[in-house]
Amino acid sequence: MFSVWVLTLVVGIAVCAGEQSAIAADEYDYDLVHSSVGFKARHLGISWIHGRFNDVSGKFSLDRQQPSKSTFKLTIKADSVDTANKARDEHLRQPDYFDTKQYPTIEFKSTSTKVIEGGYEVTGDFTMHGTTQKVTIVLMGGKEHDFKGTKRVAFSTELALKRSDYGFDKRAIGPIGDKALIFIDCEGVRK
Amino acid sequence: MPDLWLYVKAMVSAAAVSALCVLATVVVRRKTDRSWLNTACVSGIGFGLAVGCGVLSLLPVWPPANGLDRFLTVLVPAVLSIELLAGIQRVPLSFLWALRIGLATAAPLILLYGSVYLSGFDNDWPLRRTSTVMAACSALLTGVWALLGRLAQRSPGVSIPFAVCLTTQCAGLTVMMAGYIKGGAAALLLVAVLLATIIAARLMARRFGEVAENCTLATLGVGVVSLFGVLFIGRFFGRLSTGSALIMLLAPLICWATELPQLRHRKPWVVGWLRITLVSVPLVFVLVEAKRDFVRDMAPLLGQGEPATIELTAQAGDRTAGSGEAAFP
Repeated sequence: MFSVWVLTLVVGIAVCAGEQSAIAADEYDYDLVHSSVGFKARHLGISWIHGRFNDVSGKFSLDRQQPSKSTFKLTIKADSVDTANKARDEHLRQPDYFDTKQYPTIEFKSTSTKVIEGGYEVTGDFTMHGTTQKVTIVLMGGKEHDFKGTKRVAFSTELALKRSDYGFDKRAIGPIGDKALIFIDCEGVRK
Repeated sequence: MPDLWLYVKAMVSAAAVSALCVLATVVVRRKTDRSWLNTACVSGIGFGLAVGCGVLSLLPVWPPANGLDRFLTVLVPAVLSIELLAGIQRVPLSFLWALRIGLATAAPLILLYGSVYLSGFDNDWPLRRTSTVMAACSALLTGVWALLGRLAQRSPGVSIPFAVCLTTQCAGLTVMMAGYIKGGAAALLLVAVLLATIIAARLMARRFGEVAENCTLATLGVGVVSLFGVLFIGRFFGRLSTGSALIMLLAPLICWATELPQLRHRKPWVVGWLRITLVSVPLVFVLVEAKRDFVRDMAPLLGQGEPATIELTAQAGDRTAGSGEAAFP
């Protein structure tokens, strides 16, 4: 009988703790309308080519009390690449570049989060072109804003990547530089 | 941008290794047999291809991650193994054809493994459509392989594998012009090793008589599967059109035209040239089309097209603010 009481107590505490945690963490959906994922890469070492991905989804949960429990996830559809030139976009979808039929998505999934001044330092797995690398990004922002009864929060970050680290063929890169800069400005809508 | 010199170096290296493997049989064994020569041809293709891939940095990783990797690490070794078995006289023909049909059936599945076509990620490709297309592709590969094999037995000659090589070369160039450079490069390597093997085998024909024809059969099998593989990855992962892919896959079957009564009894070299010429006709059309598309779509990206003029409208009034060359890849 005593053991039943102890078990009930333990389960009760666990449920309450879980509920408290769930209450503390706010869940947000990526708002495609007010967000953007852009990139730029060097052309011939003298200028920059700019582009963006038009189809992005994601979600993040912000735990204000225990920020280290906050999580971030972003999924980019690789074939939504848009550099304002249809032929070039088609070329970028080819196997020599993004190979979108084989690797349809580019993903980021956080593994640890740290609070810094003005935002979060998030470490996670960045998967592109079938290769996963550990990256650390600095997310600036995070203030919640109530707009017409909907809670919103926004972050911005910049990320530098070497495409050769992700299995891109250097010879196919041609006049475009190996290094690419990615800009993420995302707004989340609270569920 | 493709480095032409690098491709030439890779093709020459691959061809040299393949030819040396075959010619080495003369040095190593004064007396040879069908199985030995077949082994030399098949291993020549394998080693030559490996060297060529090494020069082009095309060496695939394991586990294979994309269509080209699976083509080079699974499909090509599988057909080489089957053609190696084909050289063993005790292996029944029915068993060999069962293996060939099995490989033809599995080939689309191998090449599409892990892609959006099989994962259901792409809404345009529901599994039922993918299954139907894969079955049709398997049937086409089996049909082309069987018909060319039958023709090679009925009317032997190097013109049939030459026609397959010519078509594979055309497929490689077309796939490259469609923007899939690595896929096309693999085709060029395959053509180099197949041609080198066929020529080396023919050089020994006087020494080994009809045995050299068996080498032709081995190269034909590898050639047909290579052609199919290049076209398949070019179509499903690159931008190769279905029409062009089908024309190129079926083009070698035009060799059957020389079986018409009026042409059948001509001299072998006439029949050979006729086959190559007839096969070339549709290939020329495909190449012209591919070149036209390349000039329209890709050349501007490589800085070879017409400069794109960008008109900007200023607040004070309309004026051309500048022009920029669309010279980005």
